[in-house]
Amino acid sequence: MADAGARHWSAYREFWRLNFLTLMEYKVNFFIWLAFTIVYHGVALGAIWIMMSRFPSMNGWHWQQVFFLYALYMLGHTLNNTFFFTIGEVPDLVREGRFDRLLVRPLDPLFQVLSQPGQIWPDELVIALIVFILAQGAVHLQWSSSTVVLLVLATLGGAYIDFAIQLIIATLSFWVVRLDALRWVVMSLENDFTRYPLSIYNRAVRIMLAYVFPFAFMNYFPATVLLHKSAEVGYTFNPQLGWLTPVVGAVWFAAAYSFWRLGLNKYQGTGS
Amino acid sequence: MNLAPYAEFAKRAFSREATYRAEVFTRVGSVLLRVFLLSTLWTALYRNNGAKQGISLESMITYATLALLLDLIYGVNGAYVIRQKIREGSIAIDFMRPISVPLYVFADTVGQTGFALVQIVPALVLSFPLLGLMHAHVGGPSGGIAALGFVASVALGFLLNFLIDLIMATATFWTMEIFGIQIMVQFISSLLSGSLVPLYFFPNGLQKIAFALPFAGLYNAPLSIYIGKWQGRDIALGLGEQALWLALIWFAAMAFWRRGERRVVVQGG
Amino acid sequence: MAAAINMIIQASHLTKQFKSVRRKEGVLGTLATLFSHDYEFKDAVTDVSFDLEPGELVGYIGPNGAGKSTTIKMLTGILVPTSGHCTVNGIVPWQDRQANGRGIGVVFGQRTQLYWDLPLVESFRLLKAIYGVSQASYDRHLKKFSELLGLDEFMRTPVRQLSLGQRMRGDFAAAMMHEPAVVFLDEPTIGLDVVAKEAIRNFIASVNKERGTTFILTTHDLNDVEKLCARIILIDHGRKLYDGSIDAIKKRYGPNRLLTADFLTDAAGVDIRMPGVAVLERDGQRIRLEFERERVRADELIVALSRQADLKDVTIAEPELETIIRQIYERGLDRSGPAPQ
Ligand SMILES: Nc1ncnc2c1ncn2[C@@H]1O[C@H](COP(=O)(O)OP(=O)(O)O)[C@@H](O)[C@H]1O
Ligand SMILES: [Mg+2]
Repeated sequence: MADAGARHWSAYREFWRLNFLTLMEYKVNFFIWLAFTIVYHGVALGAIWIMMSRFPSMNGWHWQQVFFLYALYMLGHTLNNTFFFTIGEVPDLVREGRFDRLLVRPLDPLFQVLSQPGQIWPDELVIALIVFILAQGAVHLQWSSSTVVLLVLATLGGAYIDFAIQLIIATLSFWVVRLDALRWVVMSLENDFTRYPLSIYNRAVRIMLAYVFPFAFMNYFPATVLLHKSAEVGYTFNPQLGWLTPVVGAVWFAAAYSFWRLGLNKYQGTGS
Repeated sequence: MNLAPYAEFAKRAFSREATYRAEVFTRVGSVLLRVFLLSTLWTALYRNNGAKQGISLESMITYATLALLLDLIYGVNGAYVIRQKIREGSIAIDFMRPISVPLYVFADTVGQTGFALVQIVPALVLSFPLLGLMHAHVGGPSGGIAALGFVASVALGFLLNFLIDLIMATATFWTMEIFGIQIMVQFISSLLSGSLVPLYFFPNGLQKIAFALPFAGLYNAPLSIYIGKWQGRDIALGLGEQALWLALIWFAAMAFWRRGERRVVVQGG
Repeated sequence: MAAAINMIIQASHLTKQFKSVRRKEGVLGTLATLFSHDYEFKDAVTDVSFDLEPGELVGYIGPNGAGKSTTIKMLTGILVPTSGHCTVNGIVPWQDRQANGRGIGVVFGQRTQLYWDLPLVESFRLLKAIYGVSQASYDRHLKKFSELLGLDEFMRTPVRQLSLGQRMRGDFAAAMMHEPAVVFLDEPTIGLDVVAKEAIRNFIASVNKERGTTFILTTHDLNDVEKLCARIILIDHGRKLYDGSIDAIKKRYGPNRLLTADFLTDAAGVDIRMPGVAVLERDGQRIRLEFERERVRADELIVALSRQADLKDVTIAEPELETIIRQIYERGLDRSGPAPQ
């Protein structure tokens, strides 16, 4: 319905306008969270730097390349954080009964979850771009049109992989009251295992990070293509796997979205 | 002072946590998964580079496993309710009741931590034998004294962690915006406490700074004792240092709390 | 069902059963809960049917936990019923939530749909976009609502700073911004003071009258119902007990009137033995009686009383809806007839 499309679009514009208004009202908060974001990624990069200074041999990856790996992960991850951040609020919405409201409005419920006015601002995405610019300089990335295409695809696909996993967790909250533990483990899996090249792990872990939690498609596989390290991928995976990130993202998102639809029909709400 | 109500608060917190049953299984399962994955990470790093700083691969895996389990203890943030109470304005009502709010929060934290132990024990009992399949000599403490010292050191770390959380929550009396700063401190602490990477692997300058800060009392102290990095006199010194920090932070936390309390009483929240 | 075409809400045999984990007592009990898969089924709504014509204003009443909110949630498409069927504006609500959403308005008394951190007017602007309301209608509604609800004085105030009464008024305006044909109100006046309640009742009555909007209103404040609704649906323990006009329920289940007589002397010796009259209470010089309106004439009763002692004052009261309904809850529908002698 064209009319429904128009309503979604104008609601989305309104959402960003309100984000901006909220931001203006809470300027101090904005700077605190900006500092927080910088510290968060700073700590992660600091840990990588400390590790690389003690364990310099990372299966042939030197520290600049590991840094690049992190920067590539940041692109997809922060793109997801910027546009889909509020998916993490679903458990709270459900528990506090606020999710009910989204079901009585003439807009898609998932769309409404993702456009809840708050204090969202693309600051983290800007930081990710800065980090990426530094990282590509450090590895002397060779730019060509295919580099650009691959980077865009990897970022978009990476964001969708990240989002799909969050969406599955959010959907579970229709059945399970508290999901902190699951969220914690997925977050730490993502944090721990996107830091270093996949090739240092044994086969079981490699397969898990490629197919079960496909974080490797967010950064490792595209990075092997970009850094001409396809050879090391070869013995377990196809060396051109890095191009498949958007496909993996689409498949994962489709699966997660079907699960979400199923959850909506099982939704029981809260007893108040 | 009558402590009975506080015991009741602790029991209630325990039961409250226990209602989320699915979470227990996810948590135990996830700890096992993470333990396994971290062991492959460290194995890979050691295979590529060899042992570092006199910490064997087995000790390192033991260290990483216990650090994960300590996360569960330190992750309990009972003081968080203070933030909620201040936000809702109900803290003023608590001040009128014949109950010490910090002690109440402490009792609640103890109850929640009790339930964290319900998850930690099976995770521990399962993960060391599991790791034992891949690595001999993973798991046990380096000796009887080390085991005792570890327990004492974790107890001190628990108190220290509680007081740090309490200080952060107390700051809410002045501004709600403190939340971002609080999480920031947590992240910095995760690095400087030795929870992510043992402090022994830090470059020299940073290592000195980390050792000098109270965060080291959370992970570095108990784990150094457990894996035998500290022995004899070092254990005593380490525990002493933790206790010293604890005393300092205790005074600071109490003074800070009293000022916050006065602020509410005078200004009506 | 030929007449069904005209019905704006049709509910037939709506049933909702909730499934939840059974909890046990104490520390050991809570630990045991971790391992047992003991489910508890709760029949929140059982076999409820009713039809509403366009423009009706119906009170849906029942004690706490009766199943009022659960019914509303099925009618608004939030919950999928365990069995049974319903249509609202000709749409099955949970099957086509977006189409359904365009034609209905919902106010939950305890929960606001306004954005906490933003001035009230910004929530309205967002709703305008969500429902695709044209600028002209938006301006017209806003003006109208401001008049009826007095929104002007806090239009630019962040919602978190509003009083409960102000916020509820904002919530009502928000729910009506897109001119829904049906509006569901779940405990809309809970916790409000008399002034705010009055403003909101007037608002409902005027929208109902001017636009012919259909309202279904759950509440346990029967004053709301007596002031607003001609028809009530009564439920308890998830089942429908009564569906009909307030007048009829009063006639049928409230056949007794109350008489309070004050005497100049002590009333202890006063003894009335007439069929259809019962003494409720004696208190010094006062006596309270209940009598059946069909069998006993008030003037005869007063004369009988005045023969026994010197009367100072007499008042006669009609039964209150609240009393009648309390009796129905307590005694069940069939046995709530005239008080037995
Ligand atoms: N999501 C739910 N899960 C389990 N039980 C529920 C849920 N929602 C409502 N109930 C139960 O169903 C019954 C009816 O609730 P509700 O419709 O909210 O009553 P009312 O609105 O009339 O007070 C209550 O016993 C309530 O505890
Ligand atoms: Mg209700």
